[in-house]
Amino acid sequence: MSVLEKARPVSRPEAPGPRVTDEHGRRIRVGELVVRYVLLLVVLALTVGPFLWQLSTSLKGPTEDIFSSPPKFLPGHPTLHNYERVADTIPVWDYALNSLKVAAANVVTNCVGSALAGYALARLRYRGRRVATLVFILAMLVPVEGIIIAQFTTMRELGLNNTLVGVVLPGCIAAMNVLLMRNAFLNLPYEIEEAAYVDGADVWQRFLRIALPSVRGTLAVVAIFAFMGAWDDFLWPLIVLSDPSKFTLTIGLNYLHGTFANDERLVAAGTVIAVAPLIALFACLQRYFFRGVGEGAVKG
Amino acid sequence: MATSTVTRVRRQLPSSPWLFAAPGLLITGVFILYPFVSTVVSAFTDRRTLVPGKFVGLANFRELLHDDMFWIGLRNSTLYIVCVVPALVVLPLLLALLVQKNIPGITFFRSAFYTPVVASIVVVGLIWVWLLDERGLINSLLESVGVGRVGFLSDQWLLLFSAMAVTVWKGLGYYMIIYLAALANVPRELHEAAAVDGAGAVRRFRTVTVPAVRSTMVLVGALSSVAAFKVFSEVYLMAGPSGGPAGEDTTLVMLVQRTGTGLTGRVGYASAISLVVFVVTVALMLLVLRADRREAS
Amino acid sequence: MSVSRRTLAAAAFVALVLPLSACGSGGDDGGSGDASGKVEGDITFQTWNLRANFKSYFDGVIADFEKQYPGTHVKWIDQPAEGYADKISADAAGGTLPDVVNVSPDLVAPLAKAGLALDLDKAAAKYRKEYLPGAWASHRIPGMTGTYAFPWYLNTGPLFYNKSLFKKAGLDPDSPPKTYDDLFADALTMAHKSDGKVATLANVPTIEDFGRYGVELMNKEGTAFTFNDAKGVQLLSKYKELYDAKALDPQALTATPESSGRKFLTEAVAMNPGSALDLDNFKKQAPNLYKNIGITDQITSTGHVNMYVMGVMVNSRTKRTPAAVAFAHYVTDAEHQMSFAKKVAIFPSTAGSLEDPYFTKEDGTDETRVRIAAAKSLKNAVNYTPVLFSDQMKTALRNEVAKALQGKESPKAALDNAVKACNTLLQQQG
Repeated sequence: MSVLEKARPVSRPEAPGPRVTDEHGRRIRVGELVVRYVLLLVVLALTVGPFLWQLSTSLKGPTEDIFSSPPKFLPGHPTLHNYERVADTIPVWDYALNSLKVAAANVVTNCVGSALAGYALARLRYRGRRVATLVFILAMLVPVEGIIIAQFTTMRELGLNNTLVGVVLPGCIAAMNVLLMRNAFLNLPYEIEEAAYVDGADVWQRFLRIALPSVRGTLAVVAIFAFMGAWDDFLWPLIVLSDPSKFTLTIGLNYLHGTFANDERLVAAGTVIAVAPLIALFACLQRYFFRGVGEGAVKG
Repeated sequence: MATSTVTRVRRQLPSSPWLFAAPGLLITGVFILYPFVSTVVSAFTDRRTLVPGKFVGLANFRELLHDDMFWIGLRNSTLYIVCVVPALVVLPLLLALLVQKNIPGITFFRSAFYTPVVASIVVVGLIWVWLLDERGLINSLLESVGVGRVGFLSDQWLLLFSAMAVTVWKGLGYYMIIYLAALANVPRELHEAAAVDGAGAVRRFRTVTVPAVRSTMVLVGALSSVAAFKVFSEVYLMAGPSGGPAGEDTTLVMLVQRTGTGLTGRVGYASAISLVVFVVTVALMLLVLRADRREAS
Repeated sequence: MSVSRRTLAAAAFVALVLPLSACGSGGDDGGSGDASGKVEGDITFQTWNLRANFKSYFDGVIADFEKQYPGTHVKWIDQPAEGYADKISADAAGGTLPDVVNVSPDLVAPLAKAGLALDLDKAAAKYRKEYLPGAWASHRIPGMTGTYAFPWYLNTGPLFYNKSLFKKAGLDPDSPPKTYDDLFADALTMAHKSDGKVATLANVPTIEDFGRYGVELMNKEGTAFTFNDAKGVQLLSKYKELYDAKALDPQALTATPESSGRKFLTEAVAMNPGSALDLDNFKKQAPNLYKNIGITDQITSTGHVNMYVMGVMVNSRTKRTPAAVAFAHYVTDAEHQMSFAKKVAIFPSTAGSLEDPYFTKEDGTDETRVRIAAAKSLKNAVNYTPVLFSDQMKTALRNEVAKALQGKESPKAALDNAVKACNTLLQQQG
């Protein structure tokens, strides 16, 4: 387990081995280090523990009493049987593929659309810029629960109900992301673009070659938010889609709540299937993600 | 000098700003603002899910004043701000300080602390209901240390506080990241100077860190209060669709959902509540920003 | 500043000029209510959370139908458990409702009032005698003439109880309560003997509980609710007594059917209503409990147990009325209901089907015993929940009941308030 390896310094902090230093190269005292790791482990238990409990439930076999008190943390006979049953009950791969399509499209449109709009809001001066900014700010404050039927009616008038395009469209350039990109561009020094301007680069070239590469990290943030949002959404895809072959994973997993009986192990396996890809994706992108945040993407 | 550049840019390509902003504006306009405008219109009608309805003036708003549920919702949504926002302004900052130092394994911890943000709220709700149940994990642990079982999911106030705890739990990682970004920009000389002066960790936190991230704290306060006022999923999943015992845990957005959806939904009345929520959140934003500006100047 | 004022002005302008979205009136291009034409064309059939377990059954039914009526094509779509009402609302408002829809009576009422459900007394009167009269009547709507859905499967069930908890409390595990008075007395004993640790009931009374207790729920015309009568107050007062003694689970005020089922599974609650389906669940999820499970009849003061009814509705705007009616009937006819009932423990609503040996012959297993008892009780079972009782009304009743149990209001005042709120909602439904 990588957890144990990485956390090993806790067990022998006094060992002479490699010195533990902070980001400025100064040595951290052993006592402080121990306190830090203890606190980190406590928070770790609080944040990740609930997920592990769910994972443990999903691995418990049919003969194991999952309601026992006191609870058993580890499955007695771990089995993947519940996952097989999920796959037998619903076409989970088809649903995952649909979710992937929707999430991928959402990532692309959000990255492109909000980068363009964010650049316009941050860098270009024109009549109506403040109105445009205000539009995005107001859009962020609209309570979505109240407008979903009106959104559906619009979608139907466009003939896009029951299509994956219809699922993607309303959130494909989220106001929040536009504002994130705007802030990232605002934090870039003007001088770089100035130089390119003197060299004769037009606005597209400056956007593509200079501004955009400098905010890669923020793009990673937007990408992760967009992916998460599309992957986790339930009510909107449910309302737009009618054809089960187009269903996304969150809707599909809802079939596991039986009409006639509920099986907690199956539901637990379903939730693990829903969360695992996101955690994996985040683990892969986290380096860019933290860098993106470092660019001040979400600063005021 | 910057201004002169952009002025020249405009002369060069007058249409490009709109080209850049157009996709975003179009999508936002068609799928967010237009439906919202029709919600605003509905707020003045007695429209129902399957009946277009007619104009009724301010009748919905008059009814709101006499609707006990509305006041309960307003109370709970306000309480949510009062309890959740301070926690979400302070705790993630402490957490950010904890994960700021590059000690071995810290990337793992940072990512792990972010997991609750990544998981969908439905999954999170399922997990926590499973944990907080009277016979769930947490109560079993409490009983084994002699505290006895606690009705987290049955008492009106405990339910609301449990939902708040879940909101804080899910938000910690998100705001931690925002603080990490801000902390990266705090010049280390400040800390060193304070340390030389003999300031302890607590005093350094108060005199150096807090002032340096003050504007970020305001931002976190604004973002979390808007989100707190619009809280829906956590309470809905934990207290159930009817909002806890006697509906005492209903929040305003839950009330919008309950009155406005389904085949018998009162769309007009629900829209009126939506409108109130919108106005309050806009006011909150303005209030926070204004307070910030006044303090900064 | 001038900019934002201009924006506001623009928004106000849009708001004023914009017509109300024409919800519900859209798509008036539908066909006639005449089902006598040729059965042909493409239709869509929507079910509610049945695909996961019964895919092959429905594929078979559809294939047979298409074979019997060449030139028809049925597209089957299945919706998941959650959000079904939201989905149907959006489709109804947007004019995209499927041709044949699986509905429950409370969904039929608003659809029928909006003119979206076909009146089967006109379009399919000839099939009426094929169904149990009570089941056919369950899709009638007070204040309207006509019947708006074919009855489909029925469900009812016994009361399960935990024999070992009964024994521990000094109650005879072999003589479970038969009447409400027995039930309340046993529940109080249980709570007393276990020091309030074991409750007997896990749910607050719902509208069907009032009905089963013998309360008149609505006036004869179906224009007003009346469950605040002396009998209703009596039931609620009794529940209040149980709640105070912890004989009604303290979490009952926030319980859902799933959570109370789980309480029974974890042996925190001694009794739980259920159906034959639950037996399997007990076996799988709580093998220890299954060894001690006791089964008894649903308690009722009226002599009629409660049943749940599922229906199949025909969209009145379908372009293929003959095919849609034919298919809705096909799915719900005696032959197909019978074969569906053999796949899962539900009950057919067609006349005579309950006389089938499958529902009358014991074979010594618990499953069969439960099935036979339920089938017998179904012959005069009642769907107590009024079709006009909307989700909003359910919430209103639930919240007032909770106030009474908590002692914030007297049972009488709580029921008066609930009736008043429900009547207002009823008026608004028009």
